Amino acid sequence: MLLEKDPWNLVITGVGGQGNVLASQILGQMLVDKGYLVTIGETYGASQRGGSVMSHLRVSTRDQFSPLIPEGQADLVIGLEPTEVLRVLAPYGNPGTMALVNLRPIHPIDVIAGDSRYPQLQDVLEKLKKLSSRVWILNATAIALEMGDPLYSNIVMLGALSALDLLPVDQEAFRSVAQRLMSAHRMEENLAAFQKGKLAVREYEEN
Amino acid sequence: MSLIKTDAPGRKLLLMGNEAIARGAIEAGVQVCAAYPGNPSSEIIGSLSQVADELNIYVEWSVNEKVALEVAAAASLAGLRGLAAMKQNGLNVASDFLLNLNLTGTKGGLVVVVCDDPSALSSSNEEDSRAFARLADLPLLEPSGFQEAKEMTRWAFELSEELGVPCLIRSVTRVSHARGNVELGELPREKRLARFDTSKPILPVPVVWTHKLLHEKLQKCKKRFETSGFNLYRGPEKPQLLILTSGAGWMYALEAVSNLGLEDRVGIVKLGTTWPLPEGFLKEQLAKSQKVLFVEEVDPFLEANVKAFAAQVQQEIGPKLFLGKGSGTLPDTGELTPDHLIKLLKEELQVSYEPRPASYIQEALEAASQSAPARTLGFCAGCPHRATYWAVKKALALDGRDGFVLGDIGCYSLGMGPAGFFQMKTLHAMGSGAGLANGFGQLGRFGLDQPVLAVCGDSTFYHAAIPALVNARYNGADFLMLILDNSATAMTGFQPHPGTGKTAMGETVNPIDIEGLCKALGAEVHTVDPFELDRTLEILSGLLQEKKGVRVLVLRQECALVRGKRQGRLFKVWVDQDRCLGLGCGCNRLCTRVFRCPGLVWDASSGKARVDEAICTGCGVCASICPASAILKEAS
Amino acid sequence: MDQNRGLGGLESLVMGQGLCTMCGACAGMCPYLEAFKGRIVKLHDCDLAEGRCYAHCPRTTLDLTALNRNRFGSEEIPVGLGFQNRILMARSLDPELLQRAQTGGVVSSLVVLALEEGLVDAAVLTQRGKDLLPSGRIVTCRDQVLDCAGSSYVASPSLAVLNKGPWNGQERIAVVGVPCQISALEKMKSCNLLQDAPAARRVVVSIGLFCTWALSYAPFIDFLKQKLPSQVVEAMDISPPPERILRVRTPSGTMEISVDEIRPFIQPACAFCADMTSELADLSVGTVEGEPGWNTLILRTQAGESLLEKALAKRLLEVKPLPSAHAEHLVQASMLKKRRALEAMKNVEDKQCGYLLADSRWLERVRLGTEGRQQ
Repeated sequence: MLLEKDPWNLVITGVGGQGNVLASQILGQMLVDKGYLVTIGETYGASQRGGSVMSHLRVSTRDQFSPLIPEGQADLVIGLEPTEVLRVLAPYGNPGTMALVNLRPIHPIDVIAGDSRYPQLQDVLEKLKKLSSRVWILNATAIALEMGDPLYSNIVMLGALSALDLLPVDQEAFRSVAQRLMSAHRMEENLAAFQKGKLAVREYEEN
Repeated sequence: MSLIKTDAPGRKLLLMGNEAIARGAIEAGVQVCAAYPGNPSSEIIGSLSQVADELNIYVEWSVNEKVALEVAAAASLAGLRGLAAMKQNGLNVASDFLLNLNLTGTKGGLVVVVCDDPSALSSSNEEDSRAFARLADLPLLEPSGFQEAKEMTRWAFELSEELGVPCLIRSVTRVSHARGNVELGELPREKRLARFDTSKPILPVPVVWTHKLLHEKLQKCKKRFETSGFNLYRGPEKPQLLILTSGAGWMYALEAVSNLGLEDRVGIVKLGTTWPLPEGFLKEQLAKSQKVLFVEEVDPFLEANVKAFAAQVQQEIGPKLFLGKGSGTLPDTGELTPDHLIKLLKEELQVSYEPRPASYIQEALEAASQSAPARTLGFCAGCPHRATYWAVKKALALDGRDGFVLGDIGCYSLGMGPAGFFQMKTLHAMGSGAGLANGFGQLGRFGLDQPVLAVCGDSTFYHAAIPALVNARYNGADFLMLILDNSATAMTGFQPHPGTGKTAMGETVNPIDIEGLCKALGAEVHTVDPFELDRTLEILSGLLQEKKGVRVLVLRQECALVRGKRQGRLFKVWVDQDRCLGLGCGCNRLCTRVFRCPGLVWDASSGKARVDEAICTGCGVCASICPASAILKEAS
Repeated sequence: MDQNRGLGGLESLVMGQGLCTMCGACAGMCPYLEAFKGRIVKLHDCDLAEGRCYAHCPRTTLDLTALNRNRFGSEEIPVGLGFQNRILMARSLDPELLQRAQTGGVVSSLVVLALEEGLVDAAVLTQRGKDLLPSGRIVTCRDQVLDCAGSSYVASPSLAVLNKGPWNGQERIAVVGVPCQISALEKMKSCNLLQDAPAARRVVVSIGLFCTWALSYAPFIDFLKQKLPSQVVEAMDISPPPERILRVRTPSGTMEISVDEIRPFIQPACAFCADMTSELADLSVGTVEGEPGWNTLILRTQAGESLLEKALAKRLLEVKPLPSAHAEHLVQASMLKKRRALEAMKNVEDKQCGYLLADSRWLERVRLGTEGRQQ
């Protein structure tokens, strides 16, 4: 599949502990298997302790690009948490950027402790719509919780991505990588999570 | 299970820079690998430890980086190939040995990988370790990408063996922790046998001879670097601007040039062998343009060395305009990004470039500041450090003499902020809390009447605090040592250490008894579970009253993430909504506002606190602090 | 900017200005303030705009006009000894109480009476604990009252236990305290910050003690420990003027220390106090100069009179008139304390009368030293 532009830049963002790194690794390997040159840059270290995390994915047919996306050049932002997408768009968004958003909020300690307020989800989505060319949403965490473990939500998001026809990722590519990178005893659940994400994603239109 | 053992030459994998380095070592036939965990280097030995058994190599998490380097060096002296990996601070710890080993020389290839952390994304300091190459007169290689990281590592063993000195590889976060395409090479088929040649004593003196010999080796190295494929040029024959770069700067320079469409105006020289300088190659490149821009992080290492070289050969290459950190063109601190270069090149070469309209930037910034609340770091739900610092805060307040806690590096470093109630007052290197406490603990004679406390973790205790405690007992320093034993090297990813009872290769061993060690020193030693807040406060207060000598209090409770994997929650915890006082006088949201566990959520609409079951790990500590006894717990 | 009327305001107006008398009215209610070993310790920051700590504290503001009006029905405060019905000499007729008590045993007798007659269910007194550390104690029987007999001389945050309880919400309570505590008690009675009525509102009788100053616990104990290394202090007593000797009794004997030696340990906050005889109490009790074994007793309210009546009926106490010379002298001493307080407050930031809210006529009369007893 030809990329719309080269390199194609994707940011996966969320809160430490959501499985951001694994999601980017799986996606990256899927694309390497299809013959692309992929660079993934991560910022983690202390992120486990409640901080924001970001993975930058560069997908190219011509070169191994840097692990940091230049300002304003993200093509797609996948948000495991809604406000993190806004945070990423400030440095890396442009009017053409698209967003795929998991609707489940994770409150920072600052909000819990009363130092700041968590915005209304509606407000976040409306701002996202203004700053993006297209926005897709789903409640990946709810789906994962129904399956018995919130940790499935990053796989649900990968499934959702596969439905958007932006990158050559599908169930088969996922299965092949999952067999190599993930534990065997959860294979069926992971495949199911991927499928559920694919079916659950819908485009967000502002009212 | 790590991919780095895959026996499939030619296969393309997505590997982390650190994994690529590990794979390069494997392909070079490394047999002994040692390290102490430290980001961004941890995955090198981390991934090697996962495949060690299968590949029949020895991998060790050493107690500190000096020992790790000594372990790898022993392999080298026995004719095997050895690898030691560390972050920048680790090289500081290992440097005394390194600066003797360079003079004694090595036998089997020995590669020392140091991973720097520009901008201190997960470090206490920022440092450019390349300076050690110059200081130690050792060859230095800097990988600029993932495939190269593997290739360089493999070649570094050959180079080290040929020259008879350790070879330094310097990586940075954006190479080590990033992932990219790597094509696998062949796995080695032979294993060497270890043997130490007892006929030749090994020592760095007399330096008149060994230092000279080292310089001769470096001259030989220069010749090898001249023909190295790791140094290359990409660009037009006569560029308007010549970029001279190494490490991650190469990827940023490529990106910037590509973005601005300057491929026929800007040339990029990538240096992979950055000390000693490949002078012939450099002369050739410098001749291409009058304007040279140095792109590197963090210090002007290349810049200073190349400028010195250029001054020396000025007659041949002519005067140059050098841009970089010295000219203020690029920032002299922090990590580089492609945006630094894009901005610079745009101005320097008068190119128009606007990836997004100014109005978008404004709107996006506003949206983020209004609707994306900050996520400051804090302790995980159920972290024993929160309980420890709570007890320390109360004990010091009741004590009333303005006591203070000196600390160092680990999860508990968050004790400097709101998560740890601002109790930790200093942070330097591993074990520095205990070290400083030795000094403060002698200042009573000069009028210091504040109680002195030091804090360190279990892994840090073994790494660096033991000598400080020996000193304290011997020299009679007055302080209270708090050892926070959460059975993990948590901050870096839960690598095993001497107290956890497991080794890098998965063996079960007798853990080394912290209390036993301290008692053997002659210190007064106590142990308490920080989850038992009242008891902890009682013991702390009592120990603060004692004024003489070093007292040790071990606060032992498992890291919440470790316990979570093992057994799940200790208690079911919930908030009785009727009893909760919320914002009322007598409480004022103590649990959410001050205690700040992420498992407790403030519900502004009901004016009550509640437990978030998805986050709460069931430690039950919050039940002890609620003034209304509204937080209830039930053993699960 | 509005004055914060919570912990922040308490810290800046009182603790930060050296005005805290350790009465304990701010403590025992929440996790933020704790009375501990002679200090009021702030354990955490509290950002409430309004809090009981501020409302209770007699040093944030003390509106003498309003308090006297509530208590005695008049805004015109007599300057000598405050409102008084009458002033007497009194002493206990109970030998055990007399022996354990400080001078005339009047306070102990009245509290025991109130408890045994069921006039109150509990009393808040002050006891000396280990290392002479004083603290409040809730007592319910004669033996416990005897435990608390004897003066402290060291400031005790006894009101903290009134705050803390435990109470079942029904008890009628008696409180014995020094003037700052009695003033705080009056503020506590009218504090409406919580829904439930505070225990202070169930205080049916308050007995105030005469007080010129109190000692700070920590420096005083350090001093005693140096004077009497590794000795257990059993009792302590300061004899009245003109002698003024501190007698410290230990198992090995009694040591005499001149009061001048312990002056450095007087709480600095006491210099700002304008109330020597607990002018807002139901009745006030002190010594009688030159008459050991007798107390001065000032009756101020009906509740006070009623308690005395019962005590006389039960032949627990005997009373006789206080000679006018003694009464005059008491007034002089009281006036002197008021004038000194006003001086001290003026020296700090040139304030008129600092935390005291009183009308200008009262101020005038204090300065001129005119007017003794109420008409």
